[in-house]
Amino acid sequence: MEFKLGNIFIKDLQFGSKTEVKDQTLFVNKDELTEYLLEDEHLASVAIDIARPGESVRIMPCKDVIEPRVKPEQDGGIFPGMVSKMFTAGQGTTHVLKGVAVVTTGQIVGYQEGIIDMTGPGAELTPFSQLNNLVIVAEPAEGVVTYQHEAALRKMGLRAANYLGEAARNLTPDETITYEYLPLHQYHEKYPDLPKVAYVYMLQSQGLLHDTYFYGVDVKNMTPTFMYPTEVMDGAIVSGNCVSACDKNTSYHHLNSPVIHDLLARHGKDLCFVGCVITNENVTLLDKQRSSDLTAKLVEYLGVDGVIISEEGFGNPDTDLIMNCNKIENKGIKTVLVTDEYAGQDGTSQSLADGSPLANAIVTGGNANELVTLPVLDKVIGNVEPAEVIAGGFKGSRKDDGTIVVELQAIMGATNELGFNKLTAREY
Amino acid sequence: MVKEIERAGIAVVHICTVTPISLTVGANRIVPAVAIPHPLGNPKLSEKEEFSLRKKLVEKALSALATPVSEQTVFED
Repeated sequence: MEFKLGNIFIKDLQFGSKTEVKDQTLFVNKDELTEYLLEDEHLASVAIDIARPGESVRIMPCKDVIEPRVKPEQDGGIFPGMVSKMFTAGQGTTHVLKGVAVVTTGQIVGYQEGIIDMTGPGAELTPFSQLNNLVIVAEPAEGVVTYQHEAALRKMGLRAANYLGEAARNLTPDETITYEYLPLHQYHEKYPDLPKVAYVYMLQSQGLLHDTYFYGVDVKNMTPTFMYPTEVMDGAIVSGNCVSACDKNTSYHHLNSPVIHDLLARHGKDLCFVGCVITNENVTLLDKQRSSDLTAKLVEYLGVDGVIISEEGFGNPDTDLIMNCNKIENKGIKTVLVTDEYAGQDGTSQSLADGSPLANAIVTGGNANELVTLPVLDKVIGNVEPAEVIAGGFKGSRKDDGTIVVELQAIMGATNELGFNKLTAREY
Repeated sequence: MVKEIERAGIAVVHICTVTPISLTVGANRIVPAVAIPHPLGNPKLSEKEEFSLRKKLVEKALSALATPVSEQTVFED
């Protein structure tokens, strides 16, 4: 069974009278998109702007980043069960507008969202500075309570991405990548001599604006389950996570999940990637014990030699990570953990809240407490006022000359725990 | 904080949700709490039920404080 991903490379983003792709430029009809987004009665207004790589623009506070995609063989958009009708993701063909993204901003309770700088030292730290971003600032309608506001903003971003994705429906991709997915026994039969590897994909699910959705299901209410790797590529997993910008997985990260894509690139060569176990990071000990027990059981059932486990967020999810590690290692299956660190601004504090002697192979996305100074940029989309109250900011973050000093924690995707960034740490 | 107060010779009960972290950091008397966003309460309960839950947790912690321990101990139900 095969899934085809067709990439269409976009070099520029402009407003135009019709939403279409011409000569590698995506033109967007702003009025049509605005009207479409305001069909949601929870929104009072939307303001749409463009931020391109290298421009002196700061976007903050950002909520989600989403890549536009479409399935040319079927009507409607991706993100099944969430903003589109239900279908099983990761089958057939999908077209991707590569090089553009929708970025959603707007004040939500807590302001705990991140910064994207399109130039300067901040731009070095976020992958989203390299994209042509369609930035949408939305204001809620009167009487909309905070949880409805978050849901409206989340769905607005996905709908906007689907609207843009339509422009790719009848295009011929510049490149097509074919991925194989098979029933479990066929993996074992087809690749008897290759080591079998699975991926344990931990999803943030602590509630209170730390949520993730699987086909529209709030993952804090699910037990661990199996997922074909290609399912993420049609938006089976969607971010509803507003917290800790540096190491939350945006919907863009999920669509392009690096662990999955890298394992698929090696599948059939030096390893056999049999699929993913998705699990959550809940707020009670019983939930953590249940999810880690059932994750270890599913991994055992897949009959693999090793797993990669990635975390989302930090603090108490470190315990979910270590529980998953211990329980899987105790079944005789090797683990490699992917996380980031909160080692203090000088890097000398304990990096994780929990640990284990069995956690002996760990990849880090960097130290989220490190400081960075962001210079004044010409234009701000959103609002700089939250700089002192977003995660990673502190009293004194905003200097008199307009510069902002923050921990990497405040930068979107800076220490991403799927490896979607440039930072790491090595021991010599 | 738990370790520093104990170092000064005063026994401490750590009421916390994620008991494995409490074990990792070295608390000696650990009482499991309700959930990370609300360790000592439960917004899903009625006021009366929640008061009862809170009272039981505090009583359990006081009882743990008066219990001699020879190693790190989690006071399960």
